[in-house]
Amino acid sequence: MTEILAIEGTDLTRPFGGFIALKGVDIAVPRGEIRGLIGPNGAGKSTLIDVLSGRASHWSGTVRMFGADIGAMTAQRRRRAGLARSFQRTNIFPDLTVIDQLEIAARAAETPNVDEIMAELNLTALALRRAADISYGDQRRLDLALALIGRPKILLLDEPAAGLSIRESLDLAHGLKDLVARWGVTVLLVEHDMEVVFSICDRITVLHLGAILAEGTPDEIRRIPEVVTAYLGTSV
Amino acid sequence: MTDIAGRQPAVTRSAPPRHALAFGGAIAAIGAGAIVAATVPSNLMMTLLTQAVISAILATGVGFLIRQNGVVSFGHAAFYGIACYAIALAMRHGAVQAELAIVLALVLPPALAFLLGLVIVRIPGVAFSMLTLAVGQACYEFAMKARQVTGGEDGFSVSLPPSLFGIPTALFQDPRSMFLVSWSALVLIMLALAVTAASPFGRLTVAIRENEERARFIGYRTTLPRALVLTLSAFVTAIAGVLFTLYNAFVSPDVLHWSQSGSALIMAIIGGPRLIWGPALGAIIFFFAKDLAGDATEHWQGIIGVILIVVMFMLPVGIGGALTRLWQRRRTP
Repeated sequence: MTEILAIEGTDLTRPFGGFIALKGVDIAVPRGEIRGLIGPNGAGKSTLIDVLSGRASHWSGTVRMFGADIGAMTAQRRRRAGLARSFQRTNIFPDLTVIDQLEIAARAAETPNVDEIMAELNLTALALRRAADISYGDQRRLDLALALIGRPKILLLDEPAAGLSIRESLDLAHGLKDLVARWGVTVLLVEHDMEVVFSICDRITVLHLGAILAEGTPDEIRRIPEVVTAYLGTSV
Repeated sequence: MTDIAGRQPAVTRSAPPRHALAFGGAIAAIGAGAIVAATVPSNLMMTLLTQAVISAILATGVGFLIRQNGVVSFGHAAFYGIACYAIALAMRHGAVQAELAIVLALVLPPALAFLLGLVIVRIPGVAFSMLTLAVGQACYEFAMKARQVTGGEDGFSVSLPPSLFGIPTALFQDPRSMFLVSWSALVLIMLALAVTAASPFGRLTVAIRENEERARFIGYRTTLPRALVLTLSAFVTAIAGVLFTLYNAFVSPDVLHWSQSGSALIMAIIGGPRLIWGPALGAIIFFFAKDLAGDATEHWQGIIGVILIVVMFMLPVGIGGALTRLWQRRRTP
């Protein structure tokens, strides 16, 4: 049976002046899969997320979502079509209360699941607080919550565990895995915490200097000497 | 089942805006304006108050743009002046009835602002301010140069009919009755803006002001809401222009000059642009400071400048913002 691809990028290239951040990258993530995207700093992970989500300009290649070409779509149209993302740096609305910003996000969504998301991410007690006044960890969860509003079909997560404690990171990771199972959402996860990546991802893509170095299951990736040498070391 | 961070019960939503209280407050404020108009003995004082209130409406328009879009306009004099000239030119050339001219004066500036907004609201910060300054000064230069149409720098008197909308025109030129009209307009404008700011549209524009990129990535187009805020702001400014023209029955290019926008901006900053009523408070303070300083020295602008510097350094949220914080602190046990 043919596998349904949730998100697919073909021959993606993104130059920055003389530097080429992505060099003809091909990536295909089947529906319902959690795909890890790892690699050293500057490998092109965030650039790839930017191209897939509609944030990048001056790129070439093809981006398809469930088979439909979305390359010409703006970021907001991709979001309304079910493609959501979070950001490497916390990207929230600092002057609004937690609930106000989630409700604004919900108004643009077909499934306004504000209460569900606040409960999932332990934000209920913070609902009436200004986002600028809550802790960094809570802001990271709020950033993720903004992406989860409306039960998106595809989630592109750019280091969601950055700045969180080990315990918080693992809670987040396993919660995410549970959510994926319940919602059937497809996830492309950029993350430097290898414990998180190797514990929840179905498959892993390794980027190095703007090109794909390897792709496989976590066990397969662990056994590739080039990946271990270039990025993993001996810790996983 | 594993939750991402443990379940909690659904939150109690924040209380809806207390519209009934706001309406009650507006009626009380209009009543207070009527008492002022009936009891202040000096006609000179009433003239000053009327001018201050018309300027307060202009400043409220400028402040609303800062509050919702987070940008500073140096070109609101264009919207103000176009409203003034729309009435004045229609009356001068007998093109349309005075009532229709007033309607046009209220429609043209926001229409221009909307079209302009679709282009310029995408431009951030100082560049936006400079563009609005350029548009404003282009209108000013046109009024100065097109003598055949506008009378050039001398300006001209506006011949209004004996009555407007069935109301004797003389009432619009009497400081007491005009104070009441302008004050009522100001109160209703602030009420309408407060309701707008508390609405989903108002909160969305604050979200866009805070983080436009994130607003796009939760599914919103950001240009149209920002252009609509500029339109609303220009509409408020046009109301001030109409009231100014009815009261003074005279226009000159001064109404289009950048210093008109600059004064409104100073008023908004002194009062506190993040509050709906802050710019109006700033306008009242500005006018009385100008009057008092003008009695003391011909260099009254210097005194206003010192007030502005002190407010910006000591009270970055404006006098209104500082009063609000003080009030909240006193109410907190």
